[in-house]
Amino acid sequence: MPVSPLVLSSVTKRFGHFTAVDNLSMEVPEGQIIGFLGPNGAGKSTSLRMALGVMPPDEGHVELFGRAPGIEALKRVGFLPEERGLYKKMTARDTITHFARLKGLSASDARARADELLQATGLDEFSRARISKLSKGMAQKVQILSTLAHRPDFLILDEPFSGLDPVNQQALEDLIRAEHDRGATILFSTHVMEHAERLCDRIIMMARGRKVLDGTLAEAFSTLGQGARITVEPGFDMAAALANTGFEATRVADEAHGDTWRIELPRGREAQDALRAALEAGAPIRGFAPDEARLRDVFVSLVGEADAEALAASEAAEGEAA
Amino acid sequence: MRNILLIFRRDYLGYVKAWGFWLSLAAVPFFMIIGGSLAGFAAQSSPVRYYAVVEPGTTLYADAIEAEFQRREEADRETASQLAEQMDMPDETSAQISNTQADRKFIRVPAPADTIDGLRPYLLGEKTVSGPVGDKPLFAALVLSSDKDELEYWSDDVNVTQLRYLTEDAMLRLARREALKDAGLGEDFLKNVDESAFKVPAKRIRPEAEQTAEGADVTMADRAPMFVAGGLAYFLWLMVFSIIQYLLMGTIEERSNKIFDTLLTSVKLPQLLAGKLLAVFAVTSTMMISWGLFAFVGASVIASQVPGTGSLIAPFLSALANPTIIVPGLISFLLGYVMYGVIFMALGSLCDTIQEAQTLLSPMMILLMLPMFAIFIAFQDPGSPIVDIASWIPFFTPFLLILRMPQDPPMWEILAQMGIMAATTALVLWGATKVYRAGAVHGAGIGDMGSALKRMIGLKGKAA
Repeated sequence: MPVSPLVLSSVTKRFGHFTAVDNLSMEVPEGQIIGFLGPNGAGKSTSLRMALGVMPPDEGHVELFGRAPGIEALKRVGFLPEERGLYKKMTARDTITHFARLKGLSASDARARADELLQATGLDEFSRARISKLSKGMAQKVQILSTLAHRPDFLILDEPFSGLDPVNQQALEDLIRAEHDRGATILFSTHVMEHAERLCDRIIMMARGRKVLDGTLAEAFSTLGQGARITVEPGFDMAAALANTGFEATRVADEAHGDTWRIELPRGREAQDALRAALEAGAPIRGFAPDEARLRDVFVSLVGEADAEALAASEAAEGEAA
Repeated sequence: MRNILLIFRRDYLGYVKAWGFWLSLAAVPFFMIIGGSLAGFAAQSSPVRYYAVVEPGTTLYADAIEAEFQRREEADRETASQLAEQMDMPDETSAQISNTQADRKFIRVPAPADTIDGLRPYLLGEKTVSGPVGDKPLFAALVLSSDKDELEYWSDDVNVTQLRYLTEDAMLRLARREALKDAGLGEDFLKNVDESAFKVPAKRIRPEAEQTAEGADVTMADRAPMFVAGGLAYFLWLMVFSIIQYLLMGTIEERSNKIFDTLLTSVKLPQLLAGKLLAVFAVTSTMMISWGLFAFVGASVIASQVPGTGSLIAPFLSALANPTIIVPGLISFLLGYVMYGVIFMALGSLCDTIQEAQTLLSPMMILLMLPMFAIFIAFQDPGSPIVDIASWIPFFTPFLLILRMPQDPPMWEILAQMGIMAATTALVLWGATKVYRAGAVHGAGIGDMGSALKRMIGLKGKAA
């Protein structure tokens, strides 16, 4: 019976009076791509650091490849931390070689692997350039390559898309798929739901240190009923307007051109019925579309508007950084 | 062990590849050569200066000054001769050294005028006087005052004082000689009195079995252990002082580069600390060994040029090989290095910037200066109770235990001090690892020292 790369059992971590992770249990089965989702401050990074043994849990226990996290188990893991950092005075090639050797590769294998990865990603002409001379994107690529250099069985990527431009985000998605095809199990955290929608077999959602969802994408979407989206002039209270019509409205976006509300469709009713009800209620409608379920909506429906706003803030910050 | 070596290798190469390292490496020999050359050049290039003595109708004072010059030159030859004797030089070389006459830098010339007004243009450089090294201005004039109770020293440059002080000594000897003459005693009386005084040769008491008439004489072999112990203590101090910036800056770099999480998923924290400590030790050792090689080559060159230098160095090498000095010395060296090294590394892990680190440097400098003062005291008075007492303070023990060894302290004191030092080092290592973990893993800063201390004793602190 294959051993799961990672099992967290009732793990709790507190910092003073603040509970960063509250009674979290999760399992990462072999060979899957798992998205670890939630806004900033949801407890994702702390959970990953506990998973790697960087910090111990206050309660519960962690198993990495069937045993407590230790250097031997960690040799099978490639970890990309949320806070990127490399030795600025080292060259790209030396950096990848150094980290590969720390994971157990011989000097010659590590150098060969560094050359191979740099060539494969088009960075070979910068292999002897110091990290300080590389662009931020290139340095980030080098760090990702350092994570992959020893061909880990299990990749843990903490916010891997953070700071990357759209082209490099796509390249990283391809790289994750390639690693998955190679046979690696992948757990990555993100607060950008679209990456998870495109990549994941399963998702684990976190909010305020607690797990709110653990399942496949289909299972996640099944938590939502069918619906429609209606955009109205800012300030119009759609929930109140539809209060007596049998439709339930939830505001899902608050933008300059108008507020977007998701209308939950009761069984047997269609999107056009909701539009008609809104018009009859005097809603100043600016847009209408039958609902295509998104992970963001799953998250909103599970955690409520306050955490949804936290997620939106995380995404906005991410957009500015990229 | 492999991981420790990999961390060591990266850090070591990181340091030695920096141009600043090579600059530091080259700076010491470079400035030693420049300094030595300048000192030699300054001694050789010191100009010959003319002086005149104005004492109408007599040469009493001029002769007294000349006699003082000769007395000092004779004393210098005597010192050189004694050194040559200790160095076991060939007789010919020894005689050559004994007869070496340093060039005199002050030469008396006939006074070109009898009054200050007449001498003024010569003293101000407007006119010159002829002398053995050509025409020059008069540097100084010693003029007997009108009431003949003072010998006035006149010069345009009052900062060069050698001639004035030499003249004061000459006048003192002249006054004593005149007083003896007035008392009816001959000129050689004082000389004979001086020569008849008992000599006080230094003898070293040793156990009877070791004591021989010849072996009681105090030689360089008796003094060498103190010099060697002092040198070792100072070397350790210098090494600790040198590592401060390496350890602080290296750890700050890793913290500001946010690299700890990546490292700690590849190596254990103690391995990381050990590798870094070893790297900085190797960097400073590389520097010290390089400078030592430079000194060795320099000494070899001098030894090849000056016969007998080998016999002067031999007692120091013998003291260095003495297990009663070198064994406690090495243990102190190792424990002292680890103790101070981990403290600086732990402090570095709490700093994000060099500015933050600088606020920590001042108290650490003061802590480090204290044993330096004790080293000075130990040189002045090796048996000083201050040194004995201070050597029980674990932070000073590494330096002061080495210094006490030539005094043959009781064995129980040596063992007790080593034990306390080892226990303190273990405690410091434990605490520093906790602080390092707080800084590296939990992101604690200087402002979180309180939280870090709480973490050390098992309480919780700042969120990651």
